[in-house]
Amino acid sequence: MFTTGSKFLIGSAVFAIIATIAYGISQDGVMGTIGLASAAAALSFLAGVNIFTHDSNVSGSDASAIDSCAAAEPAPANSIWPLAFALGAVVLAVGLITYQAVFIIGIVLLLAAGAEWTTQAWAEQASAEAAHNSEVRSRIANPLEFPLAAAIGVGLIVYAFSRVMLWLSKTNTVIALGVLGAIIVSVAFLLAYRPGLRSRTAVGVIGVGVLALVVGGAAAGLDGERDVHEQETTVDLAHEGICESPEEFEADHNASQSVAATAAVAATITLDDSGELNYELNGPRPEGATALTLQRSSPSNVLFSNKSGEERRLSLNLGPATAGSGADEEDAPHQVCTTLVEFDGEQNLTLIIGLPSIAAEDGYHFFVPGVESAELELIVP
Amino acid sequence: METTSTVNKMSRRIRIGLIAALGLAVAGCAQDAPQDTFDPAGENAQKIQDLQVPIFILAGVVGLIVLSVLTFVLIRFRDRGQAIPEQSHGNPMLEIVLTIIPALILIGISIPTVGTILALSETDDTECIINVTGQQWWWEVDYPVQDGCGGISDVIITSGQMVIPTGTEVLVRGTSRDVIHSWWIPRLNGKKDMVPGRVHNVRLQADEPGIYAGQCTEFCGLSHANMRMEVIAMDPDDFETWKAGQMAEYVAPEEGTLAAEGEATFIAQCSRCHQVNGLEDDDGNPIIARPDLQVYSGATPNLSWLMTRNTFAGASWDLLTPECRADVWDASPETVGEKYLEGVSPECLNSVDFREWLRNAPAKKPMYTDPTELEETGGLPRGMPDLGLGEDQIDQLVAYLLERQ
Ligand code: HEC
Ligand SMILES: [Cu+2]
Repeated sequence: MFTTGSKFLIGSAVFAIIATIAYGISQDGVMGTIGLASAAAALSFLAGVNIFTHDSNVSGSDASAIDSCAAAEPAPANSIWPLAFALGAVVLAVGLITYQAVFIIGIVLLLAAGAEWTTQAWAEQASAEAAHNSEVRSRIANPLEFPLAAAIGVGLIVYAFSRVMLWLSKTNTVIALGVLGAIIVSVAFLLAYRPGLRSRTAVGVIGVGVLALVVGGAAAGLDGERDVHEQETTVDLAHEGICESPEEFEADHNASQSVAATAAVAATITLDDSGELNYELNGPRPEGATALTLQRSSPSNVLFSNKSGEERRLSLNLGPATAGSGADEEDAPHQVCTTLVEFDGEQNLTLIIGLPSIAAEDGYHFFVPGVESAELELIVP
Repeated sequence: METTSTVNKMSRRIRIGLIAALGLAVAGCAQDAPQDTFDPAGENAQKIQDLQVPIFILAGVVGLIVLSVLTFVLIRFRDRGQAIPEQSHGNPMLEIVLTIIPALILIGISIPTVGTILALSETDDTECIINVTGQQWWWEVDYPVQDGCGGISDVIITSGQMVIPTGTEVLVRGTSRDVIHSWWIPRLNGKKDMVPGRVHNVRLQADEPGIYAGQCTEFCGLSHANMRMEVIAMDPDDFETWKAGQMAEYVAPEEGTLAAEGEATFIAQCSRCHQVNGLEDDDGNPIIARPDLQVYSGATPNLSWLMTRNTFAGASWDLLTPECRADVWDASPETVGEKYLEGVSPECLNSVDFREWLRNAPAKKPMYTDPTELEETGGLPRGMPDLGLGEDQIDQLVAYLLERQ
């Protein structure tokens, strides 16, 4: 009547009860007594459950039960998911005291392993046939697993590749890509030439390649990127106060010279052959106006069109005003300029002038470094 | 029972529909409709009128035909339990005709439409150039130095109201300092979006002197509804007088007057934001307002000639009492210019609204000025903040500002 399991549990419970009483009387310790009493209660409960379920034991005389009992089912194969799940928990715990990234990896691992484990456990109960069970599992899980795994794989490869490329110097990048191209072509050639080559071999070679890439990416990522040179701009020229110079600087190399025809700029300022600065509006120019008027504190786009024979830039000294506005006033420069614009080229200059021209002693003037006669007054009301 | 309640419902619906239709019809008859596109007051608006009226009539006729045919078909062929008629797979002749007719109508409409668009973007005949700049929530107007507009020798800058000479082709060059606004004086031309970083043109020409109202027509935030403007058209002679007033020298208030105290209060409280041209500090240096450091748009109305205008704060309130306002706004074309040039006398000042503004501007016009909510704009308000002025300070400022004309 008493099964093996229940005998064990009943015995343990009785032992725990005796121990509780003995400890309680002899030691007079509250905590210990509570602990033992809890153990006794828990063991009694388990013993009760066990007796009620008959320990799931099968009676030797019940022939049909022998085939259908749990023990008669084929044992499922080993699973790595409990291991992965445990690993996830550990990584998560480590992440709690180290880096957030580790913590996130832990969560992902925990969730992924948990999901896999659950699906597997569920599938293993589908039928008595292992092959069928694994098929059931695949049908449910693969539509999610495959794209996800592919995305992770591709992401890993792309990321590793980019780390390697950013780590290599400009020249070495070219060499590396050349070599890579050569390898791919040779392997492709080999595969085409010898179709008999076993696919295991091909997969192996590619696997090694990917592994090398990921390892290389990790190493390169840890080592950091190569220095990327930052191209100087006209803002740098303004900061250094060299908008007055007709010389060529780095900022003047490869400058973009195109402006959309629909830009509706505030004005187009042209430097002509005779070295004069003139302006036009997107309507008629006010008759008799020698100066250009632009609103205060308003972003105004002025197009500089160079019709003189040489490369020229358009500059504007702002006197007490700065090329910034409002809060960024502090370190904003007191001049603005375009890059050198080639003959017949155009370039946009965006101005936000915080102070009216009466604030500057001689007002504001556009000028072209190197061309004395080129000057245009700017009025800011 | 059921039938009667359905009938009741029907007749109630019909009654509500009738009332709504009546309401619409009555609204169409508004006597005082200063922003009426169907009442053009200049050649540009007239061009739009000449295009829109025939097109509305044509569209109305087409609509009526379509609705009548639809109604006929709905009634004539309604489901009376009859057999489903024979099904056909289209009627090529009918379909071709029904495609060609609308195509012809659209072509007929597009030719004058494109013509009008091109005519309205013409700028060659410009005789006067004026800049407008929108910002939350008022319009700045400035007149660059030019021979046009009868000659302007020094930039004129004002706000809310644009004064133009009649019979003159004016080209408004507009832009914005913050978000997109739209400038529209319905009786003078169509609307135009004013976009930061871009300059858009609007032609203006008024046949007769008068005050033409408009309002911002591109939703631009909190006080969009309080962003209004007016164009005041006056005879070229009156316009000359107005210009001279705007280019005049600053006259400081007489010593010892309330206005003189007002000047000091203005310098202390207002001049960090508002420019009054000619105002000087104790050392004789010009006082330059720094709205670029004080408000998000970087601009505030120039108050040099505040009392030559007759509305304020985005043209949303009158500087004149109702009686004095009616005297100017309802004046005949012959006298309106002259009346406008009288400016705002102490007796005519609408001191209720004006003092309320000075007492607590954001309480009058919703603006973003609460210092705890300015994170997005780097601590800068959008609009005029509450300055916590006392009544005596307001008295002084009113006296001082009344002299700004
Ligand atoms: C922080 C900046 C600031 C200060 C200080 C300031 N204002 Fe203003 N003021 C504004 C802004 C912005 C407007 C435009 C508000 C609008 O219409 O939406 C304005 C509008 C006005 C107008 C309406 C002008 C017009 O043409 O529509 C008057 C009048 C005015 N202010 C008076 C004053 C006076 C008087 C003081 C000093 C007591 C003062 N302001 C101080 C920012 C300021
Ligand atoms: Cu607006």
